[in-house]
Amino acid sequence: MDTFLQVTAYGLLQGGLLALVAVGFSLVWGIMNIVNLSHGAFVILGAYIAWEMQSWFGLDPFLGMFVSAAVLFCIGYVIQRYLINLIVNGPVFITLLLTFGINMIFIQSMNLIFTADFRSIQTSYGSNSLKIGAIHIPVVRLLAFLLAILISFALVAFVKRTRTGLSIMATGMDRGAARLMGIRARHVYAITFAISAALAGMAGTMIATIETFDPAKAGKFTLMAFVVAVLGGLGNLYGALVGGLLIGLVESWAGQYLSGTWVNGIAFLVLIIVLIFRPNGLVGKAFYAARVEL
Amino acid sequence: MKKNSRSFVAVTAAIGLVMLGVNYAPVANAAGTLTVSIGASVPLTGSLAKEGLLTKEGYQFCQTKVNAVSLFTIGGKSIKLDITYQDDTSKPDLAAQNLSKFNDKGMKLILSSYGSANVNAQAAVVELNKQTMVDSGGADDNIFNKGYTRTFNVMSPASEYASSMVKAINDLARPKPVKFAFLSADDGFSKTVTAGGIKTAKALGFTTMDPQYFPNATSDVSAALNKIKADKPDVIIGSVHFVEGVALIKQSKELGVQPQSFAETVAPPILEFASTLGPLAENVLGSSQWTSTTKGRDKYFGTAANYATEFAAAFGHEATYHNAEATAACLAMVMSIEKAKSIDADKVQAALKSLNTMSFFGTIHFDSTGQNSSKPMSVIQIQKGKIITVWPRISAQAKMIWPYAK
Repeated sequence: MDTFLQVTAYGLLQGGLLALVAVGFSLVWGIMNIVNLSHGAFVILGAYIAWEMQSWFGLDPFLGMFVSAAVLFCIGYVIQRYLINLIVNGPVFITLLLTFGINMIFIQSMNLIFTADFRSIQTSYGSNSLKIGAIHIPVVRLLAFLLAILISFALVAFVKRTRTGLSIMATGMDRGAARLMGIRARHVYAITFAISAALAGMAGTMIATIETFDPAKAGKFTLMAFVVAVLGGLGNLYGALVGGLLIGLVESWAGQYLSGTWVNGIAFLVLIIVLIFRPNGLVGKAFYAARVEL
Repeated sequence: MKKNSRSFVAVTAAIGLVMLGVNYAPVANAAGTLTVSIGASVPLTGSLAKEGLLTKEGYQFCQTKVNAVSLFTIGGKSIKLDITYQDDTSKPDLAAQNLSKFNDKGMKLILSSYGSANVNAQAAVVELNKQTMVDSGGADDNIFNKGYTRTFNVMSPASEYASSMVKAINDLARPKPVKFAFLSADDGFSKTVTAGGIKTAKALGFTTMDPQYFPNATSDVSAALNKIKADKPDVIIGSVHFVEGVALIKQSKELGVQPQSFAETVAPPILEFASTLGPLAENVLGSSQWTSTTKGRDKYFGTAANYATEFAAAFGHEATYHNAEATAACLAMVMSIEKAKSIDADKVQAALKSLNTMSFFGTIHFDSTGQNSSKPMSVIQIQKGKIITVWPRISAQAKMIWPYAK
C-alpha cells in the first residue's frame, strides 16, 4: 500500500509539472487556434534566464521565475504582434511552419549562446523531501505542483474577471465579432501569446530546479504540452491541469506495475482511448474546434 | 535583361554542378604534402550535441597535432589531415546519409559519429561504400557482431562499462557489498552494458536483482527506484546517459533510496555531473574510457597526462574521455596510414586489422570483430567535486571512498 501511495503521490506531482508546461500552450491553442511549436523553446529559454539569474545574482529560482516570466512576456508579445499576427488569418499549416521556424531559431541561438552543456539550478532544498509516514514528497515538485494549481485558478480569474481577460475570451470565441465590438484583436492576441510565453518561462524555471536542461530538450516539452493539451481539451483553462495530472498518474502507475519501457506507450494509449470517447478532450469544449474565424 | 538572367542561372548551375563533382580524394600539391581527406559526421545539434562537440574537439586536436609534427611521409610527401565535418543532428539516418555524401565526393576514410545508434547506422553504409571507419562513439557490442569488416572501435566494448565498476567494487570495497541493483535505459547500448555488468556480478558471487528499465533520455526514473526500494540493494548501478544519471541520483534522494554506493556509466566522467549535482555527486562511481592517468604513450601525444595538459591549453577546458576517444580514433587512422604507407581505404583497413600499439589512450589493438577488446576501462569517483581515478590500482590517483551514505 505504501508503494502505491508513493507512486500515486509522485505521479500527481509529476503531473503538476506537466500541467505547468502545458497551460500556456493550451491557452494559445484554445484562444488563437495556433499550435505553437516554439513553446518548448520558450520553456528552455525560461530555464536559462533563471539559471543566469542564479549564477549572476544568486537569485533563488522561486524569485528568478518572475524575471523569466517578465522577459518571456516581452519576447512573446513582440513575436505575436509583429510576426505571427501577419499570418494569423492563414491556414493552420502556415502558423505551424512559422512557429517551427521560430523554434529552430531559438534552439540554435541558445546552442550558440549557452552551448549544449547540460545545466541545472542548484538549491539547498532541491532534493529535500517531506516525509509523511513512509511516503516521500519532494519539496520542489510539491511547490511546482502548487504553482500549477495556483496558475490555473489565477488564469481563470483573470479571464473571467478582468477587462483584458474578457477581451481574450471574446476574441477566442469570435474574432470578427470581437473586432466589431471595438476589441483590438492584434493587441489581444499579442497579450495572450505573451502570457503563454511568460507561463512557459515559469515552467522552465521549475524544470531547471528539478532536472537538467539543454537546448535539445525543447522538442520534448513541446510534445508534452501538445499531448497534455489534447488530453485535457481546449476551451477550458483547467484542461491542461486535468490532462497533466492524468498523464502524470498514468506514467507513474505504468512505470511501477508494467515494464518501465512501456511508460510512453501507455500514456499515448490513454490519450487515444480518451479521444475515442471524448474527442474534445476530458474537459474541452466542442465549440473551440469549430469556431468562427474571420 | 532576361537573357542576362538566363545566362547567370546557367553559369551558376554549371558552377554548382562542377562543385558537386569536386573530388575530395587524396590531393598532392606542389609543396610536397599529401592531403588526406577524412569525413566526420558528428552530432553538433540535437540531443547528442554536447558529446558531438567534444568528439569534434578531439578530432580537431588530432588534426592540429598530426599536421604540426608531420612525423612520416608517403612517397616523399608529408601528410596533412583535412577533416570535413557534417552535422548529423543526432539522427542515425542522417549520420549514415552523410557518409554516402562523403563517398560521392571520393572520401573513403571516415571518423565516426557519436552514439551507438548513429555508429550502428554508419557501419552498414561504410561496408556498402567500401569506406574505412574508425569509431570513437559507438561502443555497443551489437555493432560488431554483424560481420562488418571495415569499422574499428578504439573504445572498450559496451559490456565492459558496468562490468569494470563491478570488478572495482569487488577489488576495493570493504566491507564487500552483497546485493546489486541494475537500473538501465532501454537503448541497445545501455542494455548491453547492463547484461555485461550482471554477468560479471554473478561470476564474482554477488546477488543481482532483476534489472529495471526506463525510457532512454528520460528525466523521471522514479518508477525503477520505487521498484527496488523495498529490497534495499547495497549498490545501485545505473546504465545511463547524463540526463538519466543525474535523475537517478536526485530522485534517489527525493524518494529516500539509500544504497551504500551509486555507480553509473557515462554520466560521472562528464564535467557537468559534479557541478549539476553538487554535494549529491560526492563519491558516485563511474566508468571511463580514459583518464589522465591511463597508462601508455605514443609519438604524437605522449602520455595521457601530456594529452590532458596540451588539450586543456588548446581548448580551455579539461579533456574528457569523449575528447580522448575521438583523438584516439584519429590517431589509429593516422598510425594505420603510416603503417600502410598509403591512403587507400583497403590498405588502411588492412593496416588497422593488424595494428597493435600503445598510445596515450592505452592499448589500441582490434580483435577479429573490430573492437578494442583488450583495452581495460578505468573507474573514477567524484571526490570533493573532482573526477578521481580509483581503479585499476596501477592508475589510481586516490583510494576509493567506501561505503558512503546520503
